[in-house]
Amino acid sequence: MHKNGPVALIFHILVLTFVLAPLVIICLVAFTPENTLSLPTAGLSLRWFEAVFAHPDFVASFWNSIWLATLSATLAVVFAVPAGLAISRYTFPGRDFLNALFLSPLIIPHLVLGVAFLRLFALIGATGSFAWLVATHIIIVTPYVLRLVLAALSGLDRSAEQAARTLGAGEWTTFRRVTAPMILPGITGGWLLAFINSFDELTMSIFVTSPATVTLPVRMYMYATESIDPMMAAVSALMIAITAVAMLVLDRAFGLDRILVGQR
Amino acid sequence: MAFLSLERVSKEFGTFTAVCDVDLAIEKGEFVSLLGPSGCGKTTTLQMIAGLVEPTKGRISLDGRDITHEKPNRRGLGVVFQSYALFPHMTVAQNVAFGLEMRRIPQAERTERVREALALVQLSAFADRYPRQLSGGQRQRVAIARALVIAPPVLLLDEPLSNLDAKLREEMQFELRRIQRKVGTTTIMVTHDQAEALSISDRVVVMESGRMTQVDAPYRLYEQPSNAFISSFVGKTNLLAGTWRRGGASSGAEIGGVLLETPAPEIADGTPVTLSIRPEKILLCDAGAGRLDGRVASRFFLGSQWLFTVETPLGIMTVSIPNHGEEPPAEGSPVGLDWSPANLRVIADNAAAA
Repeated sequence: MHKNGPVALIFHILVLTFVLAPLVIICLVAFTPENTLSLPTAGLSLRWFEAVFAHPDFVASFWNSIWLATLSATLAVVFAVPAGLAISRYTFPGRDFLNALFLSPLIIPHLVLGVAFLRLFALIGATGSFAWLVATHIIIVTPYVLRLVLAALSGLDRSAEQAARTLGAGEWTTFRRVTAPMILPGITGGWLLAFINSFDELTMSIFVTSPATVTLPVRMYMYATESIDPMMAAVSALMIAITAVAMLVLDRAFGLDRILVGQR
Repeated sequence: MAFLSLERVSKEFGTFTAVCDVDLAIEKGEFVSLLGPSGCGKTTTLQMIAGLVEPTKGRISLDGRDITHEKPNRRGLGVVFQSYALFPHMTVAQNVAFGLEMRRIPQAERTERVREALALVQLSAFADRYPRQLSGGQRQRVAIARALVIAPPVLLLDEPLSNLDAKLREEMQFELRRIQRKVGTTTIMVTHDQAEALSISDRVVVMESGRMTQVDAPYRLYEQPSNAFISSFVGKTNLLAGTWRRGGASSGAEIGGVLLETPAPEIADGTPVTLSIRPEKILLCDAGAGRLDGRVASRFFLGSQWLFTVETPLGIMTVSIPNHGEEPPAEGSPVGLDWSPANLRVIADNAAAA
């Protein structure tokens, strides 16, 4: 085993501290009994967690965000997998253009996208319904799925597909039984990234949510512009906990290394 | 009508002709190798038979049925890929069962046939492993079992041994031949390794830049190569360029002022020819006692034999002699080279001979 020198060790500790300290502090603040954002010095309290659940707005927004992220990540997979197959395997006119188009939401600032969608929805008379919100989120999360699917496809040994064909599998069966399982790490990783990005998205969502479809980040933002109290910390702690649990479950079920790095 | 036949099959990729007018008739139960250097079109030919590449021209038929444009999944041929192409997310047994599943073979029969196939390749104990838990040779055998379990009329092997180390490759050659003999499946193997092609095939097809240049039994290919390329590609040889001289009883090739006698067919006087003689057909003797004198430039001990390079007036000649357990001539010592004129082949490259 390669051992780290003292300098490298200190460096690693500093990096980890820098990354984790804010998360640890916000989780601690969530348990404060005080009325201000402060570390709990005089005992722990769950009053701010109770406050969150007493706010039906927050609960509704939380479920909104969960559904939004699940739907948009899943639909992004449905679009990105065929798109990835087409882009990586065929040459056709406009291929590079399509590739660039699908990836462009990564480069365009979400603020710009938000204003543009607001304008577009006003023009076509789209009401601020949940479906339109999902559509905008699909657009911003598709690049993540497409990137990972393309990476998975480029590392795929195509002779396995040919083998399946020679063994009697049709094209659809070959995709279902061989190609899809082999690029599953890419698909799952892409779905996860898409989910997290959608769940997290604030800048664009501010413009395209309607009062009925306010997402959790937007709700938090709106709340924070009016008052800052430890309830924000409680919500944050809950989000961290949910993410951590999701990661743990995924790791137990599939192995995070396998999903994000690829098997073998 | 042959069991599998290719008639004037060609494949063009844009302006590049990968395979040109291949005519091949293979009988049932035969083991045929397609041999050639990389880029000679042998793999493309195999893929056209498998249905993975569509021929530009020509016709492929199997057992009297035209399969030229049939989809690979309708042909029912067994293919073993160079990379083995095992399904990494399935166990060995699931890999082998895949083809049977596609054929909707009932579960009970499937299990039995998978068991038999794994027994054939001696991997019964590994049924529940994943491909990544196997060694190269074991993966290779899984690939063979997977291709054979569907009882294909023809088994196609694409460089099946090239990813194995030398010792394992030799073992697998015999293994492959044993399996093929046992199941009697018509087999076509693509390889760039001449030793592999010679040792296990009934017939060898030599391909050069997209064309078939010789189809023969391994022994005849080795002894009677039809051109200089084949004679040097298949085994080692000494090539000598000279001019044909006819004169009464002793006709032969004149090279550097020396006349080398050889019994050769009718060739006009003065025709440029190339002679080929295999290193093991040359005998070492005392200087002056042979047909040609030379000096040992270097010698290599290969265990079962010694390989000499000898400087002669005709150029460097390679000579191999069996190891008799005695010290052979040292480097720098003068030696004589002798051979039987019958072993001196005239290669038809420039000559009118067949």
